[in-house]
Order: sequence, then C-alpha cells, then structure tokens
Amino acid sequence: MAMLEVKDLHKSFENTVVLDGVSLSVEKGDVVAILGPSGGGKTTFLRCINFLERADSGTFTFDGVTHDLAHIKNREISQIRKKTGFVFQNYNLFRNKTALQNVTEGLIVAHKVEKKKAEDIGMRMLEKVGMADKASNYPSQLSGGQQQRVAIARALSADPEIIYFDEPTSALDPELIGEVLSVMRNLAEEGMTMIVVTHEMDFAKNVSSRSIFMEHGHIVEEGESAAFFANPKMERTREFLRMEANRGI
Amino acid sequence: MPGLLVTIPLTVIAFSFAMIIAIILAMVQVADVPVLKQFARFYIWVIRGTPLLVQLYVVFFGLPSVGVRINAFPAAVLVFSINEGAYCAETMRAAIESVPAGQMEAGYCVGMNYYQIMTRIVLPQAFRTAFPPLFNSLIGMVKDTSLAANITVAEMFFATQRIAGRTYQFMALYLELAFIYLMFSTVLTRVQAWGEKRLNSYGGNKI
Repeated sequence: MAMLEVKDLHKSFENTVVLDGVSLSVEKGDVVAILGPSGGGKTTFLRCINFLERADSGTFTFDGVTHDLAHIKNREISQIRKKTGFVFQNYNLFRNKTALQNVTEGLIVAHKVEKKKAEDIGMRMLEKVGMADKASNYPSQLSGGQQQRVAIARALSADPEIIYFDEPTSALDPELIGEVLSVMRNLAEEGMTMIVVTHEMDFAKNVSSRSIFMEHGHIVEEGESAAFFANPKMERTREFLRMEANRGI
Repeated sequence: MPGLLVTIPLTVIAFSFAMIIAIILAMVQVADVPVLKQFARFYIWVIRGTPLLVQLYVVFFGLPSVGVRINAFPAAVLVFSINEGAYCAETMRAAIESVPAGQMEAGYCVGMNYYQIMTRIVLPQAFRTAFPPLFNSLIGMVKDTSLAANITVAEMFFATQRIAGRTYQFMALYLELAFIYLMFSTVLTRVQAWGEKRLNSYGGNKI
C-alpha cells in the first residue's frame, strides 16, 4: 500500500485554476522529482499537501488514513505535519534562532522532547548536513547554501516519514547548489522518502526514482526516472527536456 | 525636586500598561479576531483622534459628574496608558506584519501551533523592529506627563509652577525644568542604543 496518496486535487486562486485534478501515489523510499515550467502548479501542489494552502477538493491518504483535503481539521493537520518535513525555496530559517536552535525548536516545542536530548539530536542532524561547526551561528551569518543545509537538518530532526522539497536550490548561487544537492543525494541513498520540486535535471535523472512532468495544473507524464529521461512518451515532455538541456548554452 | 518622584512612577506604570494594551490590540488585529478586531480599530480611531489634554479632563473633571470619581494620580495613569496604548498598538501591528509569512509557515511545518510560533518566533522579531519607534513613544510620553499638572497631579511641571508662583523666578526655574526633561531623554536615548545593540545579537532582522 502507498504511504502517501493524493487523489484528484483541485485548487484555484480567484478565477485561475492552478491544479486541475492532480493525483499522485508515493511508496516508502520513493524519491519523486516534480518537473515543469514555472507557474505549472508544482509548488502549489506541494503546499496543498502540507496544508500551507487549502485545496478546493481532493483526498489525501497518509499512514493509511484518508482525509478530505478541503475539510481537514487543524488537529489532523498538525498530526500529519509532525510526521513530515518541509524545505522551502528561500530556507525560512527562524531569524532569531541559531542554527542549532532552528533544528531543536520544533522538537522541544511541538514534540515535547527534553532540551538536552533535543540538542543531541540537533547536533547529530547538523553533522549529517556538515553544519555542526556552525551550530551557534545565526542565519544572517550563514551563506545561502549553509542556510539551506540547516533547513534540511531542521526538516530531518523529528524523524519524518517523508520530506517535501520546494525548489531547494533555486535561490542559490550556482557554486552553492552542489553542497545542497549532495546532502539530498545522501538522504535519498539512506532511503528517505522525498518529493522534490526542482529544476535540477541531473538530480531528477540520477537521484530520483520517479519523475513527473507537470504543466497547466495537470500531470502530463510520469514514470521511472531512467525511462522518463531516456524515452519520454509525450511530445510536450520531450520539448521541455530539450529546452532544459539547452538552458546553459 | 519632589515632582521627579511622581513623574518617574507615572511614566513607568503608564507605559507598562500601554505596552500590554498595545500587544493585545495588535494581536487581535493580526490574528483577525472578529468583533475584538473591530473594537481595536474603534479604540485606536477615538484615542488617536482626540487630544490627550481633553482625555485627561474628561476622566478627571468629567467622570465625577456621572458618579465616577478617580483620584488625580490613578486618573493620569489611566489616561496615559489608554492613550499611549493606542499609538504603540499601531507600532506593534506594523512590526508584526513586517515579519515575513515564511517564518510562520516554517513554524507550522515543524509542528508548532499559532500561539507557539507567535510567542517564540514572530513576536521576538517584531519586537526588534518595534523597539526604536516604541522608545520614541516612551520619550514622548515622559514629556507629555507634564500635562498631568492640569489635573492636579504633583509631577515636575506642577511642582515647578508652584515654586515659580512663590519666587517669581520664572526663567531660571522653567529652564531648569526643561533641562531635567532633557536629561531624562538623554538617559533614555542611551538605554535605547544599548538595547538595540543587545537585540541585534542575531544580526537584526536580516535574511
């Protein structure tokens, strides 16, 4: 059985349809890359399944329980969020907290973990992303890549079942992208379940197990990443991949 | 200077209450609490739209005619708290709204609830932003307390008036009074600089 299943998700802003019936099923250990042009609904999809946006309709099954996305209760939302992690495009580290406090804050306040124990976990997570030596630095004292690695440590801290990444490298200078992608690759290799909205084609191709091409609020094509990139079925997908491949030229 | 022992407590007590009022008024607006939000807007509209001196007169000279008698000092504390609360509420509201929405979202994503995020993440950052304008208000209020002389509160201005009335040393006495207010403000300005430095320990509200 899938660990996470979204069925027929619809979302409009004002009169603009952003998601027009999106369905997705994720198995434990999957790394799903969601690709597509800007404005295609990728980020909104991720925000809807973590309830940062309220969907208009659709169902969401997680841990064997099915919820109605339009009417899910706050209590259920907070239960689900405690088992998921979210990494933002612009990091969103708590500006008034150190790197370590960013990681431990949720553990102590939301998960009621004892402070000393939370700090042990926090240091372990920072080590994992190579940021242990900056534990006492504030976000304003860190580079974008470092902030994003702390943000990943924060998302990992409560031992989530799945982590959502919303264009985690899009705000970074080119020379800082690699350090974040390598942390994400390590997570994938450890078997972490991830949904990654990204423009990094190499990451999608080489690290993700499945790739999805989304445009105009629809999933145009999805498949095993190897097949998806080697032999895309839809003309539109081929065109998009060709354009992405030529981006640097 | 006996009036000093009235001016200082009046300022400290009234400003403390004003801060409490300000945070409550700002919060009900930011959290969009129905009814209370409308009440907050109404309160701020009335208080900011009427002169402080008139408010003092209404409470001290007006209320007794409807059977509410309040002594001069508590009346002054009441009016200054209510008045300053309205101005500081707007400062606090603007400061809270200046904290990026992403801070709130990140809090939700690690499982925290609205109250936890507000008290631990948003308000501390908002307070950093609000600190200089709040000090502005405090310094303004120190000087405004001289208006309380009009309702017989024996603060510095009142005391000076009485001495001047006896001695006819108007120039010397009022200049001295002005100097004392200036010293007051100078000390507060120093405290502000020190406080800002401390609050900047996390690099202020940069990225």
